[in-house]
Amino acid sequence: MLITQLKAKESIDALVNGKAFIINCFGCKEVHFPEQEAISLQKEMADAGRVTGTLTMDYICNPDNLKLHTDNFKAEIDAADIILVFACGVGVQTVSDLFADKKVYAACDTYRLPGYQGVTPQLFDCDQCGMCFLNGTGGICPLTACSKGLVNGQCGGAKNGMCEVDPEMECGWERIQKRLTALCRIDVLKNLPVQIRDYSTDDATKECKETE
Amino acid sequence: MDYTKYVLKDREELASLLEGKDNIFVIACNKCFKEFESVVETDGDEFAAFAKEQGKNVTGIVNIDFLCNQLLTSKKLEGVVPEGTDFIAVVSCGLGIQIVADMEEIPVIAASNSLNYIGHHGMALTQKTCGACAQCYLNITGGICPIVDCSKSLLNGQCGGAKNGKCEVDPKKDCAWEKIYQRLEAQGRQRDFLDQPVQLRDYNKSNFKVVNDFVKEIRDGRLSGYNGGVHPSENKELAENIPLKKFPESDVVVIPTSMHAGAPAEPVVNVGDKVKVGQLIAAQKGFISANVHSSVSGTVIAIEPRPHSKGTDVLAIVIQNDKQNTLDESVKPAKPLDELTPDEIVEIVKDKGITGMGGAGFPTYVKLKPGKPIDAVLLNGCECEPYLTADHRVLLENADDVIYGLKAIIKAVGAPKGIIVIEDNKPDAIELMEAKVADDDMLEVAKVRTKYPQGAEKMLIKNVMKRMVPSGGLPADVGAVVANVSTAVAISDAIQKGMPLVERAVSVTGDYMKEPGNFMVKIGTNVQDIIDHCGGITREGATVKMGGLMMGAVLENTNVPIIKGSNGIIAVNTDYTEEKECIKCGRCQDVCPMELAPLKFYRYMKDNDPKALLENNIRDCFECGCCQYICSSKIPLVKWIKAGKQAIMGVK
Repeated sequence: MLITQLKAKESIDALVNGKAFIINCFGCKEVHFPEQEAISLQKEMADAGRVTGTLTMDYICNPDNLKLHTDNFKAEIDAADIILVFACGVGVQTVSDLFADKKVYAACDTYRLPGYQGVTPQLFDCDQCGMCFLNGTGGICPLTACSKGLVNGQCGGAKNGMCEVDPEMECGWERIQKRLTALCRIDVLKNLPVQIRDYSTDDATKECKETE
Repeated sequence: MDYTKYVLKDREELASLLEGKDNIFVIACNKCFKEFESVVETDGDEFAAFAKEQGKNVTGIVNIDFLCNQLLTSKKLEGVVPEGTDFIAVVSCGLGIQIVADMEEIPVIAASNSLNYIGHHGMALTQKTCGACAQCYLNITGGICPIVDCSKSLLNGQCGGAKNGKCEVDPKKDCAWEKIYQRLEAQGRQRDFLDQPVQLRDYNKSNFKVVNDFVKEIRDGRLSGYNGGVHPSENKELAENIPLKKFPESDVVVIPTSMHAGAPAEPVVNVGDKVKVGQLIAAQKGFISANVHSSVSGTVIAIEPRPHSKGTDVLAIVIQNDKQNTLDESVKPAKPLDELTPDEIVEIVKDKGITGMGGAGFPTYVKLKPGKPIDAVLLNGCECEPYLTADHRVLLENADDVIYGLKAIIKAVGAPKGIIVIEDNKPDAIELMEAKVADDDMLEVAKVRTKYPQGAEKMLIKNVMKRMVPSGGLPADVGAVVANVSTAVAISDAIQKGMPLVERAVSVTGDYMKEPGNFMVKIGTNVQDIIDHCGGITREGATVKMGGLMMGAVLENTNVPIIKGSNGIIAVNTDYTEEKECIKCGRCQDVCPMELAPLKFYRYMKDNDPKALLENNIRDCFECGCCQYICSSKIPLVKWIKAGKQAIMGVK
């Protein structure tokens, strides 16, 4: 799940040379969009005569629907020197693809939320490692539950069960040990050979998908 | 193109995983972010077959949509895993596996690997992805992302290894930096780029703690009161501070005989008759129906089908207004509330043609005879629809009438208390109402979170009384009666003045309404006249709706009358998007306050399977439109669901 935050006002100001056409994407607003900040900034710009028009729509990452909307704002877009997009990185790229001859600027920075693969913002996170480790760890992910993403047991730095990187975070490996003990499966971990994370699975799994 | 999230581990690994394990239950996720071709995916079966091949006993298999949705998954898994199961195998991405492992006390086998994509995708099945670097570089690279499009994620120009425009890491891939150069050259921006300082990527920028806190906040909001719901831009500031004004008298009013749920009323006047304000002009016909009264004094000039906001022509009584406002003899105060019996109150409400004024238009008198003990009357002042401000103004300007009406309802249904429920975006109304009920032991004010559809009957009851109206049931089944604040005012007028429901508060607003306002409008007033009075609509092609943004009816023809349920006229953006194939993003299920799966209704309609619609509780849907609002493929889900409800008629 991708979320956005507004860039600093000065950096947005510096981008807008001349007049801007503004595109807001509210598609993922239910999760997060800096709506109030964005709208008040846009109002300021409009009051200063720097805006030719504003289009607010959902899911600009869908190029077909983006085009259907922008077709209705042709005059306003033509009159603008730049297009200023308030959306995630996917949205900005989709707009700049559609208007390849126009300066398209991003007014937001994009962050990712844990569990972005799933539907709601999640308690759990998946790093898409392509070689699921959950079998040896009682279903607790060592890549995301351990600050260091260790796959062969704890680093030894935990104090009172808390992580040395973030003292507010429980040590993932202590959690794994507790869970496995409760399930009487601690031997599974002890007998596991040394795990090596294969970073090349990233592309391998993708290719396997594409050739299917 | 799809973003399917997992693949089964290979057979060799699965075989070694299953070694020494037996009595396995399989939980499989139905996958997301791919074209929605069939309701159930086959990976779970494939795994189960493999386990059997290995001589294992499979105790069962269940396919679940969006396994990562913790709330719904925990409900679906209740009592599903049979006795005698030693292991649960989960076929899902890492999220689903962790959820099940967290929930169940039986050891979990991860039977699949998550697929990795470079970058994070959007809500459409396209090739575009975003690295979520939290420091967007697109402004200096002409909109081409150096993080996901360059194999090396270089930020300061190409590595020099590209051959004929192709990447040295992956010869199938274009060199991103060559593409960036060409784009910038075409736009004459190379100088801008060259003048940029050296870029350093700050990996610390995506601070997980901030993000984790953030996740907690959104999750809490999502689950507060009831599952899901949405937060459309409220846009209430357009009209919320504009006091109610009496709308000028019209020359002619067109009063439909059908302004309520149920059978149309039957005209009791003839063309040429003189009528007065409050005079009965069409009588209730049947149990679910309502009386209709004249909102003006004058002469009946026609009784004929006229355009109605629901899109068809409806028999209407057309009255030439003499603008004298002569009151009918029947308009006189009833006894004081203290002296009225519950039955007398119900009789007045029935006689004066009062219907629910929140939109659905259900005859109010029926609600006032619940036939069951009632623990509380909930007065709905949420006005959770964006733009609308009429109920807000009524609360502020007619507070005493609201309370009088509420007391009448309480008395009619024999409830021990009444609760006025208001969303927290109306602090002035909450303050005023709290002051008004401070000395009354029977009345209280409940402040609820602003979230659509907070004002829906079932959601109000769940949120305020923590009770769930059973599937197919009514509020009275759980001891509740819900009424809208404007309905309470109408009841107050009916008792205190003897005035039937002949006018109502209407918000006239929207981004493209020139001069928004709130008006007391006589039933039968022409919508176009109201729009003209408000200066007209400022953008050609804007959409005009009667009612709110979410549940209001689009008015193709604005030459229709205001009816009892018309709480607003809004002029808003037109949605130019077109319906696309469902991509199983799961948003609709995520936001459905009734915890239904709207995407499945759509699928089952396409598959012509009414039985499955029924089994998936399509009847529990009250058409709030959250699913349609959030749909990333812009599928008109409410239309499909309405059709689905027709399709299940007669299915057992």
